[in-house]
Amino acid sequence: MLVLLLLGFTLFPAFWMLSSAFDAQAGSGGQQLLPREFTFDNFAYVLTEGGFDVFLRNSAIVAVVTVLASAVLALLASVAVARFRFKFRTAMLLMILIVQMVPLEALVIPLFVQVRDLQLLNTLLGLMVVYVALSLPFGIWMLRGFVAAVPVELEEAAYIDGATWGRMFRSVLLPLVMPGLVATSVFSFITAWNEFIFAMTLLGGATANYTVAIGLKQFFGEHSNEWGYIMAASTIITIPVMIFFVIVQRRLSSGLVAGAVKG
Amino acid sequence: MSNTLQAPPVVQGASAPRTAGGPGRKRSILARTRPWLLLGPALAVLAILLLWPLVRVFLFSLQDYGLREIVTGDFNFIGLANYGEIFTDPTLWTIVLPNTVGFAVLAVAGTVALGTGVAVLMASLGPVWRTVVGSAIMIAWAMPAVTGTYVWVWIFDADRGIFNETLQALGLQDEPVNWFTNRYSFYAIVLLNVIHHGFPFVAITILAGLLGVPKEMLEAAEMDGANAWGRFWRIIVPNLKQVFAVVIILSTIWDFKVFAQVYLMPGGAGSNREALNLGVWSYVESFGQNRYGFGSAIAVLLTLVLLGITVVYVRTMLKEEEL
Repeated sequence: MLVLLLLGFTLFPAFWMLSSAFDAQAGSGGQQLLPREFTFDNFAYVLTEGGFDVFLRNSAIVAVVTVLASAVLALLASVAVARFRFKFRTAMLLMILIVQMVPLEALVIPLFVQVRDLQLLNTLLGLMVVYVALSLPFGIWMLRGFVAAVPVELEEAAYIDGATWGRMFRSVLLPLVMPGLVATSVFSFITAWNEFIFAMTLLGGATANYTVAIGLKQFFGEHSNEWGYIMAASTIITIPVMIFFVIVQRRLSSGLVAGAVKG
Repeated sequence: MSNTLQAPPVVQGASAPRTAGGPGRKRSILARTRPWLLLGPALAVLAILLLWPLVRVFLFSLQDYGLREIVTGDFNFIGLANYGEIFTDPTLWTIVLPNTVGFAVLAVAGTVALGTGVAVLMASLGPVWRTVVGSAIMIAWAMPAVTGTYVWVWIFDADRGIFNETLQALGLQDEPVNWFTNRYSFYAIVLLNVIHHGFPFVAITILAGLLGVPKEMLEAAEMDGANAWGRFWRIIVPNLKQVFAVVIILSTIWDFKVFAQVYLMPGGAGSNREALNLGVWSYVESFGQNRYGFGSAIAVLLTLVLLGITVVYVRTMLKEEEL
């Protein structure tokens, strides 16, 4: 009984989103739990006239570039902090942890000015640059654990076999931290995909460059909201995140405790 | 994880050990600078895009930084006047602080209580039901904040929302109510949204901790006649102190800075001033009123509050593992 109640509370929003997305009359009042008239029209409209095909492409570009760039930077940095002892190492780790807690509202004002000065306002590039920075601290913090978990003996064996450091990095370390790299990448993908405040601020003037998170506002009207379209678009946004969540769900908690990001 | 870290880094360089002060052997320049070469790119990005902006937001907060300054790039330092204005503005004391702090307290309490309850429930379930509940809460968790918020807005929509329609069908109210105009019902919806999105993390984290509590301890307590409530407070809570500390602090940090969940609700973007919290206030003053200096000062205050909580968090983390 308790379980059913919990399932109801937990699943209702997702269920309601789907039900409305497939309902031809969503938003016209008197909606039933299940669609009165099952249709794919909301999805079709959103993806053609609604411009969501463009927003999806923009989000995909931004997210993929963010993932690649931050993965490379974070991996190198995490090797440094996990494998070497050097001055300011602990201080730097703490700084990274603390920077992560800074509210985006504090960063958005100066970064808006900075991106504007670089003439990157309303461009996807400007947004990517910011997202790389936002996902780096968490990436370093999380990958550091994976690098540290690779037995040092394996690296030593590579040196004994005459490998250079670069060779060892490619053939020993990289394959072994791959699972961590995948998990970290999924996190930065989700961050870039979901992010709202920077997308709204840095792309505000260019509808053609909207990401999915802010593209939704296209369907809010002066007097009435197109709930069928909004829910269909919401479904489309949510699906990739759900898929990626399944991939990393085991690491979610420990990753969050260590790095503290949340969509 | 911590074990590997505690072990001294005995990695052998091709020619020399990298351990600090290796016994009498010279380290090559490459080996010595390698950590900094590896770190360099990331540090540069962090410095330019996170640290410098943090310094800048503080500098902005000391200026009358408005539309003119943002265009010309001129400085117009006015000392602490922005802070003075914030602290004398009744908006801070009557609206923003109660909304921010009151909300955070309720949201953290709700998230942790529900999350703990669900974790205890899940621990008592068989494998099949545990998987079902686990998948369900994963769905709630995975829902992006933006789409999740729009779904709640749709549920409580004044004209056609299912909440109003259900209440009317049950005869509990005659006319549809706009739940977004009243400050308390507005935040009740935010609360529902944030707890719904946040409790799965708490549940999964605490469940992991619960499964680590030795069964023998619980069985022994049961034999001694402790009921479920007593077992929870006497055995589970003390054993999971650290886990609870972490989820409470993290939830506090998150719930202090809810933004999209407020901003995207009807009136939440500043038109309903009753609904402002620190983050939204800072944003709408900056980008709505072009008062970037004033908005920055609010942002600095929010940052300081979060920094305080973060220090507590970092200390908790440090107890748990060595850096």
